[in-house]
Amino acid sequence: MSVTSEAPAAFRNAAARPGPLALIAEAWRDVASRRRLVRYLVQAEIKRRGANTFLGNLWWVLDPLLLMLVYVVLVAIIARRPIDDYPLFIFAAILPWKWFTSAVTDATSSIVSQHRLIKQIAFPKVVLPVAAVTAGVVGFGFGMVPLAGIMVLYLDRLSPLILLVPVIAMVQYVFTIGIALLVAAGNVFVRDLGNVMRHVLRLWFYLSPGLYSLSMLDEVSLFRENPVLIALASANPFAILFEAYRSVIYGTLDAGPVMPDWAALGALLAVSLVFVAVATVVFKRLEPTFAKVL
Amino acid sequence: MTEGPPPITDTEHAIAADGLGVRYTLRFSRKKSIQRTLGQWLARDPVEQFWALRDVTFRLVHGESLAVIGPNGAGKSTLLQVLAGIIRPSEGSVDVRGHVSGLLTLGAGFDVELTGRENILLAGAFLGLDDAVTRELSPGIVEYADLGQFIDAPLKTYSSGMRARLGFAIATSVDPDILLLDEVLATGDSTFRAKSKARVLELVRDSKAVVLVTHDMAWVKEYCNRALLLEHGRVVIEGTPDEVVETHRQHTEEEKKRKAAEAKAAGLAPEIAAARR
Repeated sequence: MSVTSEAPAAFRNAAARPGPLALIAEAWRDVASRRRLVRYLVQAEIKRRGANTFLGNLWWVLDPLLLMLVYVVLVAIIARRPIDDYPLFIFAAILPWKWFTSAVTDATSSIVSQHRLIKQIAFPKVVLPVAAVTAGVVGFGFGMVPLAGIMVLYLDRLSPLILLVPVIAMVQYVFTIGIALLVAAGNVFVRDLGNVMRHVLRLWFYLSPGLYSLSMLDEVSLFRENPVLIALASANPFAILFEAYRSVIYGTLDAGPVMPDWAALGALLAVSLVFVAVATVVFKRLEPTFAKVL
Repeated sequence: MTEGPPPITDTEHAIAADGLGVRYTLRFSRKKSIQRTLGQWLARDPVEQFWALRDVTFRLVHGESLAVIGPNGAGKSTLLQVLAGIIRPSEGSVDVRGHVSGLLTLGAGFDVELTGRENILLAGAFLGLDDAVTRELSPGIVEYADLGQFIDAPLKTYSSGMRARLGFAIATSVDPDILLLDEVLATGDSTFRAKSKARVLELVRDSKAVVLVTHDMAWVKEYCNRALLLEHGRVVIEGTPDEVVETHRQHTEEEKKRKAAEAKAAGLAPEIAAARR
């Protein structure tokens, strides 16, 4: 153990509080030095999801397809004007959203569920929410299989722009890490957070242009009369993400795929990076008390 | 660090604790809901605090083996958690030189869907062992845990004894510079218990420094060359095992007598009164 180890060979703990930049650097080192732990946790999570069901890993593919079916039926009943190729239209939003909700839900319980271990060995707790978000990436990747299946039905909408999906996903990853750090740490102190997040996420989805597009908001009188609301709706991170995914997978309502709004995506990335930095400082500040509170 | 405590001058030490204090703030104690937290905050209740450890200062040099004894709730386990780097001191400082390993309550952090072998890798990653080291240790762990075919089966198929055996095998496979032992292990069947005691003794002999928390005074006298008595989070006496154990015995007896007297005053008196009526 003395020669090669990722754990520090010596430490000196005092009551002093390091500054924010030192905390960010420390968190970065924590994750970088424990990459393998993140990998194992992700593998375990994937195994767990496939293990207890009859169809096992097939659910990775079935889940988004069934969800899409539910929304197609729902919208077919209540919508007045049908959207062309609607299954593909919402599938472009369902895939990233499934990743986001599973990541946030898993991250919320990630620290609390390891309470026994946290009280027994010293390890960087940051790896737990990071692993939760990263495990979602795998599900997102599996989602490309049903996406390909649907794409076959709408070949006229297929374009090389679909290869930009990983770029958009990267922006989403950064944003999700920030949320994950906050909910993981928050849930240690307030256990109701899991219940709260379930409803916040549901509301968030309906407020984001997943089942509809931003441009359709103009048709609603409430939005037409209050431009502020439209501005707010467009500033929603998931408005930017959904519109970006949709523009490379589906395109616009009456034409094929186009380039995403790079300015909006770039702005979201910049804001997300700042957000992650702030979330990291909050997380690292709270981290030393986890073992006492759990 | 910006404002550290005065530098520690001796160079030999494995562990140096200086005026160590750990404070628990009870505002966010166990599983409170928003309702209670908010309620307390709105009512501006003074934040309840208590010091699990206070003014603990000691040095442990390499080659020494220190027993920490004391009544329940004296702060013994908190002290081990601070030495392991799990809890940060609220005041004072602790300086630990060398790799620390504690014997975990066996099986914390195991994933039931993974096989025994995969759990060895996961546990190694949690402990911060290098992957190559874990893979090197793995055959020894498998052999010691003695699980036969089960090593490649998911952990959910294990009995609690098998799980404990695997946990113990992993925890003792690393040989640390500083070994922290909390209450000697009483898990598994009797054969395994004998085997595990032998292994713990081996580790105690091989480690450069040992801190042992126990209620077993025979252990203290036999395997430790120093002892420290904690009561209510403070060091009462530190010295040779014989004198510290003796002080502890006296204090325990006084406590017993006091409790007996209290019981007499509270419980026995009405009985006597009833008998006389």
